[in-house]
Amino acid sequence: MTTFVQMALLAAAGSALGLAANAISPHGVSLRQPVLSAAEAGGGACAMPASAAPVTSAPPPWKAARIGVAEAKGLCDACIAGFVDARGPHEFAHGHIANAVHLPPVGHPEEEAVVAQLRTYPLVVVYDGEYSCAVADDVAVRLRRAGLNDVRVLQGAWPAWVAAKGPASAGMCGVCGLEALAK
Amino acid sequence: MSLLARAARILLGAIFLWASVTKVPDMAAFAESVANYRIVPPSLVPGVAAAVVGVEIAAGVALVLNVWARAAALVLSTLLAVFTVGLASALARGIDLSCGCFGGNAPATWWTVLRDVVLLLLALGVAISSPPSPVRAPSRPPDPAPAP
Repeated sequence: MTTFVQMALLAAAGSALGLAANAISPHGVSLRQPVLSAAEAGGGACAMPASAAPVTSAPPPWKAARIGVAEAKGLCDACIAGFVDARGPHEFAHGHIANAVHLPPVGHPEEEAVVAQLRTYPLVVVYDGEYSCAVADDVAVRLRRAGLNDVRVLQGAWPAWVAAKGPASAGMCGVCGLEALAK
Repeated sequence: MSLLARAARILLGAIFLWASVTKVPDMAAFAESVANYRIVPPSLVPGVAAAVVGVEIAAGVALVLNVWARAAALVLSTLLAVFTVGLASALARGIDLSCGCFGGNAPATWWTVLRDVVLLLLALGVAISSPPSPVRAPSRPPDPAPAP
């Protein structure tokens, strides 16, 4: 058998193996949905341009795994993921992912109830409004410490969701929105 | 095959096995990395991403087990050539992307390109040093029994 035929067989067998691996992967990619680049999806890749990035002496202590907008939209449409908005109360009131709960870095007055609600989902997606995703990372760390196993940060943050025309709604958070109004 | 060539073959296979296995738990993230290169149409990205991971596994196993080693090294050389050109092209266009090489989010730099070039040279070296698969001689009919 010539080397060329062996290469073709390896490529064919490998491709089939890859499709099988994708099928059993806990975060497999949908073969039917196109995957856009971060730029085409309308947001950054949770990474500021080097020129705009603040100078920091130490890297963030922990970065949550990322999830793309396309995959997150699919999970949102199927109602199989919990969404957490880590922005401020006014930004949340102005618009947020449909059914997202508000959980800013400063904490939530009814945090235990919110975490219990999130625990019913196999996957939780946290987002903020910044390219660095630093706020979302902070909240993701907190949720991990609270015992949630699969917490991911939305790549491209809220701007990418808006650009991708993901389902959204507006309105105050039931609890902390009132506090924000009082300030 | 010399000891050095054997070590290079096993090392290359192990590197690609490791690189592919670390991608399997999050294939969606790897597909996004592939999409960020912007050299594959979005509709083909999921299939290409899955195929790349599978081919890396198959070629890695073949190299470690020394089965079709030359073909496996040439397949990986082709993949590495595409990775290197794609990565260099993206960096030259100013695209800020993660390499997606070992299932992480590490940003790609020109050092990543250099690493790919080194791996490409290693793969080509393994391909050259691996003997081609033996060609079977056509089976010859048994000699007729000698006449009494």
